Amino acid sequence: MREYAFFLGCIAPNRYPGAEAASYKTAERLGIKLLDLEGASCCPAPGAFGSIDLNVWYAMAARNLVLAEQMKKDIALICNGCYKSIWEVNHKLKHNKELRDGVNEVLKGIDMEFKGTIDVWHLAELFYDPNIVGVDKIRDSVKVPLTGTRIAVHYGCHLMKPRKERHFGTTEHPTWLEEMVAALGAEPVEYRNKMLCCGAGGGVRGYDLVHSLDITNEKMINLREAGVDALTEVCPFCQLQFDRGQIEMEEKFGVKYNLPVLHYCELLGLAQGMTPQELALDLHAISCEPFLKKVL
Amino acid sequence: MAEKKTRKEPAAKKDTKKAVSKATHAPAPAATSPDKDLGKGARIGVYICHCGTNIAGSVDILAVQEYAKTLPNVAHVDNYQYMCSTPGQKKIEQDIKEHKLTGIVVAACSPRLHEPTFRTATKTGGLNPFRFEMANIREQGSWVHMHDREGATAKAKDAIRIAVAKAALLQDLVPKSVPVTKAALVVGAGVAGMQAALDLANAGIKTYLVEKSPTIGGRMSQLDKTFPTLDCSQCILTPKMVDVGRNPNIELMTYSEIEEVEGYIGNFDVTIRKKARGVLTPAEAEARGIVGGGCNGCGDCDTVCPVIKPNPFEMGMKPRKAIYIYHPQVVPLIYTVDFDSCVKCGLCVEACGEKKAIDLEMKDELVKVKVGTAILALGYDIFPIEKKEEWGYKKYENVVTSLEFERLICASGPTGGHLVRPSDGKTPKKVAFLLCAGSRDNTGVGKPYCSRFCCMYSLKHAHQIIEKIPGCQPYIFYMDIRSFGKMYEEFYYRIQDEGAKFIRGRVSNVLEDPVTKNLYVMADDTLLDRPMKLEVDMVVLAAAVQPSADTDRTRKLFGVSCSLDGWLLEAHPKLNPCGTTTAGVFLAGVCQGPKDIPDTVASAEGAASAASIPIHMGEVELEPYFAQCIEEKCAGCGMCVNLCPYQALSLVEKEGRKVMQVTEAKCKGCGTCGGFCPGGAIWMQHFATPQIVAQIDAFLLGGEQ
Repeated sequence: MREYAFFLGCIAPNRYPGAEAASYKTAERLGIKLLDLEGASCCPAPGAFGSIDLNVWYAMAARNLVLAEQMKKDIALICNGCYKSIWEVNHKLKHNKELRDGVNEVLKGIDMEFKGTIDVWHLAELFYDPNIVGVDKIRDSVKVPLTGTRIAVHYGCHLMKPRKERHFGTTEHPTWLEEMVAALGAEPVEYRNKMLCCGAGGGVRGYDLVHSLDITNEKMINLREAGVDALTEVCPFCQLQFDRGQIEMEEKFGVKYNLPVLHYCELLGLAQGMTPQELALDLHAISCEPFLKKVL
Repeated sequence: MAEKKTRKEPAAKKDTKKAVSKATHAPAPAATSPDKDLGKGARIGVYICHCGTNIAGSVDILAVQEYAKTLPNVAHVDNYQYMCSTPGQKKIEQDIKEHKLTGIVVAACSPRLHEPTFRTATKTGGLNPFRFEMANIREQGSWVHMHDREGATAKAKDAIRIAVAKAALLQDLVPKSVPVTKAALVVGAGVAGMQAALDLANAGIKTYLVEKSPTIGGRMSQLDKTFPTLDCSQCILTPKMVDVGRNPNIELMTYSEIEEVEGYIGNFDVTIRKKARGVLTPAEAEARGIVGGGCNGCGDCDTVCPVIKPNPFEMGMKPRKAIYIYHPQVVPLIYTVDFDSCVKCGLCVEACGEKKAIDLEMKDELVKVKVGTAILALGYDIFPIEKKEEWGYKKYENVVTSLEFERLICASGPTGGHLVRPSDGKTPKKVAFLLCAGSRDNTGVGKPYCSRFCCMYSLKHAHQIIEKIPGCQPYIFYMDIRSFGKMYEEFYYRIQDEGAKFIRGRVSNVLEDPVTKNLYVMADDTLLDRPMKLEVDMVVLAAAVQPSADTDRTRKLFGVSCSLDGWLLEAHPKLNPCGTTTAGVFLAGVCQGPKDIPDTVASAEGAASAASIPIHMGEVELEPYFAQCIEEKCAGCGMCVNLCPYQALSLVEKEGRKVMQVTEAKCKGCGTCGGFCPGGAIWMQHFATPQIVAQIDAFLLGGEQ
């Protein structure tokens, strides 16, 4: 069994504990052991921290990386925001000596040193990688196929971009997440402007909620037109924006969509036979009942 | 210093001299071998040019002059405002006599600019012109150290010291003349190649025109109309195509490629691969004894052929058979068999009947021709714009390239000139044109350069849909409109008046509505400073151009360099735009860089003129930088023969043993052999070992003996 240091992030454990629970359990069924990364802090959020003081962002992310370096384990995580911070800071520090020296100067205060000995992965990419898990193994792990459901996917910006620094190939028309949805027996659905931002990232949600919901609304309109039973994503912050955002959009714009939004790990958990209670789906702002009825 | 040099010279000079002059066929007088008197009694004149303030602004001329006087062998030093001017040259001419100079050094600009000038002055003064050496203290001195007077001055002193060291050891050399074959080669028969071939042929020169496609005409024959005159591209091109086909001085070789090139200016031996086209011309049929046979273009074979393939001339939007012509106006009107898709059913052979024009067993044929000069007119391809994923080409059906648009709007195209959407065949009412699609792109995906004619043809496209489809609205997304040519800006205003909408901003994304297949164009309107989203029926990408697929292979055969982006490199971008660094090879049209039709034709005429000069002169003079074999030392190992990139060396039997022999006309003086020869038996004229060692010593020892 492969072992990774699991970087939880903030939103999953606090808002969608089901996504956290599902990650541990689904991963284990696919041969990945997620170990607790004790003492981890916020990643910290790339938009909120990065846009105010990059040095704080580097140093805090580096501290989280050093915790994993001390465990001698690569990091796995389930949030695109965390991916942006942890992956990108790791990448930058590995390739920029000047920056690394500056950060290590700060880390010295807590007796730490960034060495650049580990890599950072999104759990979804580990799931997709045929050398680690692969779509076939995912398909084999399914106990309750999601047959007959139409599911749209949202990749999220921080995972895929900037293109030059990432390693996912095409960033405009990716389909690997769709393949992973199809592996669960569901029908992945194309919709217009699939790669549009959820609206939350880059600090927009915190700075200007209406503007951010405006973007979300556009996505929801496109999803409604495509006629889907649920939306799945790989980022609890996108999840928050799509899920809680629907309540806010109803308040601000008077629109109602009632579209269930599930993290891919939650969806995978369902397909692997976890119960909605185990996945804490009742904590979602938008009820997953209509979707669950189709599945269970 | 001169004494020091003689110490390093090869032994047995006298005999060597004899041997070399026997081995080569050089005109008698040149002292082309190492000589023990090399550098003896050298009296060098040094001239320092101010070049206005170009040099004098950053270099202390008088300090350099005083320094030069202290150098060994220097007999006279002077400076002047502009050494290249007539009074400057006169100084050299007079001083040679007055001070009995044996060598001249001018410290000025790059030898690429004024070496010929000063060589002439040296010659006029009574010295052999190769007794001249240039020190570049401008491009490599004052210009790059503009704000470091002290450093630039010190560097100028170094450059002069080095030049003087070499000048003291220079020898008399005599350039060699070679006769020029009275025939020319043109590679590529687009509008550039055709024009160049016609010009050469009309000047009385036998011209071989080689084209890889089955027909001549190139990209221009795919275009519907031309800007800004709006005349039909085929209508103005076909007369030229017909002329090319009929000109008795042009030997047209279509469906053929350059296989091998040997030789040098005046005497290129070119091997051409005539690809098996499976069809005989009337002449070829007659040669096989089939009287009155051969292909007459009737098309009976086309009718019966069961294999259907996309026609590349129509950008794959129209079918063709396995035996095909691109379009009705092809020159020559000879069918071609695509052997990759032919199933050899033989129906075509039957249909052809008595003409017996089809030979399904035909094989490639190699033809050798001898030419004096060659012109490369290799053309361009469209950049694979699907690499810019954000615009969805090849993903969304209604996103097309401009070249596809040309075929869709052209009366002889796949839709008979009715512009339709590929997704449903409906006439579009809103069309977006995306300029700089892959051009002026610094993301690393596209091309950094401007493709130069896209602005203008997109304006023309906008005009065409306004004219052809009432109520159809063109939207042009642009960075800036580059309407640079004669009557181009006027054309731009005209299209504005006709009602095309111009939006200044690059398109970030094109999205497709999965149901209607309409497209949403997302852009930043930088004039109104707001993001915009526009729903259109069709998107036309003005895709960047890039060198044609075969360019790299072909240019290497001719020894022509290319720039970073693959376009072929001219000898000088301003003053020698048609020439290349390979003597006798010239460039025409877009293979040198993006050009519209007028510029392409102009460059073709320039190349034809340049290529005809050596042919009309009848002989060319080659710089005497040949390698010479010191036969006394040559062990006949032959290792140099394989190293020579120009096939200039060979082994010959002499006095019972093997020695190397140089074909001087082929030798470019690159020095590969001279640097390698384990026995030091190769003497590189004008770059001889003692000369180079003297330069290195002068630099490293800082002038000390």
